[in-house]
Amino acid sequence: MSSEPQPRGLSSSGSPIPNQPADGGLRNFYRQEFDRVHRDFVATGSGLAALSDRTRLVDKLALTLWEQHLPSRPRCGYALVALGGYGRCELFPHSDVDLLFLTEDEEKRDQIKEGVSSICQQMWDCGLRVSPSTHTIADCARLNQENIEFTLSLLDCRFLAGDRLLFDGLHEKKLPELIAREADTLLQALSSITEARHHRFGKTIFHLEPNLKDGPGGLRDCHVSRWIGMILALVAGNKPEVVGSSKNAAASAVLEAIEFLSSIRCHLHYRHNRDDNNVTWSAQEELAARGIGTGSGPLSPAEWMRLYFGHAKAVYHDSGQLLKQVMEGRSSLYRSFQHWRSRVSNSEFSVVDGRVYLQQAASARDAEAVLRLFVFVAKHGVALSAEAERRISEAHLRLVETMPQDQSLWPYLRDILTQPQAANALRAMHSLNLLTHALPEFEAINLLVLRDLYHRYTVDEHTLLAIDVLHQLKIDGDEVLRPFAELLGEVEHPELLYLALLLHDTGKGLEGSDHVYSSLQFTQTAVKRLQFPEEDARMVAFLVSSHLEISSTMRRRDIYDPGTVAELADKMGTPERLKMLTLLTLADIKAVNPDALTPWKAENLWRLYAATANHFDRSADIAGLDAGASRGAVERIIGLHPLRRSEILHFLDGLPQRYVLSHPAEQVVQHFRLSRQLATEVVQLQLQPHSGQCELTVVTTDRAGLFRTLAGILFGWGMDITKATAFSNSSGVVVDSFYFKDRFRTLEVNPSERECFLRSVRDILLGEAPLEKLLESRLRGDRQPVKLAVGTRIRHDNECSARNSLLEIVTQDRPGLLHTISSTLTEEGCSIEVALIDTEGPLAHDVFYLTRNGNKLTSEQMRDLEWALAGELSDSLPTW
Amino acid sequence: MTKLEAVIQPARFEAVKDALIEIGVEGMTVIEVRGHGRQKGHTEFYRGREYIVDLLPKVKIEAVIPDAMVDKAVTTITEAARTGKIGDGKIFLSRIDDAVRIRNDERGENAL
Repeated sequence: MSSEPQPRGLSSSGSPIPNQPADGGLRNFYRQEFDRVHRDFVATGSGLAALSDRTRLVDKLALTLWEQHLPSRPRCGYALVALGGYGRCELFPHSDVDLLFLTEDEEKRDQIKEGVSSICQQMWDCGLRVSPSTHTIADCARLNQENIEFTLSLLDCRFLAGDRLLFDGLHEKKLPELIAREADTLLQALSSITEARHHRFGKTIFHLEPNLKDGPGGLRDCHVSRWIGMILALVAGNKPEVVGSSKNAAASAVLEAIEFLSSIRCHLHYRHNRDDNNVTWSAQEELAARGIGTGSGPLSPAEWMRLYFGHAKAVYHDSGQLLKQVMEGRSSLYRSFQHWRSRVSNSEFSVVDGRVYLQQAASARDAEAVLRLFVFVAKHGVALSAEAERRISEAHLRLVETMPQDQSLWPYLRDILTQPQAANALRAMHSLNLLTHALPEFEAINLLVLRDLYHRYTVDEHTLLAIDVLHQLKIDGDEVLRPFAELLGEVEHPELLYLALLLHDTGKGLEGSDHVYSSLQFTQTAVKRLQFPEEDARMVAFLVSSHLEISSTMRRRDIYDPGTVAELADKMGTPERLKMLTLLTLADIKAVNPDALTPWKAENLWRLYAATANHFDRSADIAGLDAGASRGAVERIIGLHPLRRSEILHFLDGLPQRYVLSHPAEQVVQHFRLSRQLATEVVQLQLQPHSGQCELTVVTTDRAGLFRTLAGILFGWGMDITKATAFSNSSGVVVDSFYFKDRFRTLEVNPSERECFLRSVRDILLGEAPLEKLLESRLRGDRQPVKLAVGTRIRHDNECSARNSLLEIVTQDRPGLLHTISSTLTEEGCSIEVALIDTEGPLAHDVFYLTRNGNKLTSEQMRDLEWALAGELSDSLPTW
Repeated sequence: MTKLEAVIQPARFEAVKDALIEIGVEGMTVIEVRGHGRQKGHTEFYRGREYIVDLLPKVKIEAVIPDAMVDKAVTTITEAARTGKIGDGKIFLSRIDDAVRIRNDERGENAL
């Protein structure tokens, strides 16, 4: 409730209102005074003064018309009341004028009807946009669930004319009683309305063309803080006091922001000659050139926007904190949720009312503790408490000096990036000026405004939104995006994808350069400083340097043309790169603006991905190591062992591109070394951990049923094969790799079992021990219930390869499945030339390149094979 | 005045747009659509899942142009959009009685 703020007086040059104003006289008077207020604003640049002046002008007009049409007596039973912005004495040049004609009862309401109509008509004729309402005091004392905004507008009511005692009855008694009674409902409604409003603007202040009134960090957020303060004061039985969430430096920042935003909004109203609050690009140029709101003369548009973002941030933060505090304090549901959150507290951080505090004040000066704090925020989705923010801000200089920059930073950054609330944690870091110190490459795009027709946000916010898009995939449930969510679950190193997203547009900060090239330079600097392994560094660099490749293909090429697909596959090199770049493309498009990723685009992206992934599966036997991407890979391999160039080339001869591109150079060299030892030991094995699983590599000479035997051994040991590849070179050297989960932790719990396992593999492959004995125990009891049924599909393609027949099987994953399939292939006389084995949850997806007696299978042989496989796979369990 | 509706391959959109701007067609509405003409759909598989691609992605360009420009616009579109394969698209032409520029009430070709 406005305690009758006094509008500042009209300046001495203000014209007196005509004594007997005819319609035209009143209109001219208003027009002249409106122009004068405008001139004063242009001269002083003070928005708050202009608001007060216009309020006083409208007061004069309203009072004159009131006296004309509804002359007052002391207890006449009706009153004229200003509401909303008018009640607050904050009338912007083209704002609506909210008027309440308050009556003591319905009879009085009928009596003044004609007068109200005349007053409003004349105000309209003067060019004012009047929003009148007539209510009895009893109406005002009730909460109307359908129009809660009206009750909120009453908080700013101001007496203008008429029955003062009637107004006081509302202002001093009825309204405080209503607020005290309905505070929870009002606060809940205020919270919902604010949430919905912020949602319309993507919940970010960082818009390229922000809306000063309704956008996050705009003037409406200032009003929200004001209303909350008033409601809380009335509930406590105090006189309403208009404050933000705090009275310290933050409150002073909010007051400065209000003055800034008010001046800019005035300027926009005069500029557009209507209630238009969008800071368009042309408006930004004008505001910056004229130095409006700067206090220090003209700025560049980019500098001016940085100033704007600073003020918007203060307002957004203040109203957000206040709203949270209030909702936390009043909602039992929220409290119980927060109670759960409080249980995530640990020895370093405590969570109270949804905010995280540092247990030890000294932690704020410890850069690694602060990084752990951001990991905590990213994991649990809690906000930093004002106290934690203050402590970190105070220790900023020390934190900057001690912030890890090299490989010791990466574990923290990785943990932040891969947690569900990564974007919020990064925003918190950015807000405290720590992100650009941890990752100096980000500084180039700090609050960077780049103008184009599509982007809605600053470059840094676009980047953080893109990271959020990927995390949201897991919880969104959007049917169009579901396949991408599944794809994200398959990515082996999501942390590299998130880092690539964080860096993909950093080059935009360098004016006049090709941003992709510049982003790549920044990326290479960053991964070098973080001391990434070469393969990881190459992956991140690839993603950044190719981040426009797929969207460009979608825009410029026919995505159904096999040539387009083959070309894209060649550029990607491996299915893993394709997956990651597809997801990066999706996130990059969706973070441009809320409407950028139409279902049309999402579906096209998915179809292009699926076609290219299929192309990889259907071309996995293509050799040609001197072509395209594989040439560079071969050179990298030789570079590791330059003295063995000819021997390495001999080893690689006949191996498909897929092998070279999908294995790190170091690993290929290891395989080469193993192959050189085949003369002394015909089975070479390597067992090592791989992304939380085990990887068994077998290098040996080719023989019938080798793949089947290996699959059987792993099944016999209770291992769950998740991926496998089988390749062979022209000399008959086989490189088979199996990635498996050690379901019973046999190798982990019993270190001695590792040697036993390797000996078992070697003995069975050499024919010195029977496989059947190992399988016996497994076949007896290893039956698991099927949680999600997957139908079996078997397809073949005799056209896609010149030398091999391709067989693709999709079926329910189950223990021993690969052994079942490969046994059937062997029994049907097939040789496995290349195998690509993959699982995705309950689904097994296996692709085999087959020959029979050195030739492709005939149609009849393929049909027999499909029948045999269908018979084996029709049961949900192995049938041997 | 004539309303021109061109349904073209998405991959040719940028070339068609640039060519239309080049000959003086500055206003156009662009819609992402799906559909098929004689170019029927087909079935695709990804990991055993079947995707029936019966409605293919297309871009629809709508523009209202002065009658004098129609032949040139049609030629421009066909040249820029043609790949020679099935699915290059179609152009539809229809008469427009009048046009109004909302900002200043201009009528007819002046409003284009």
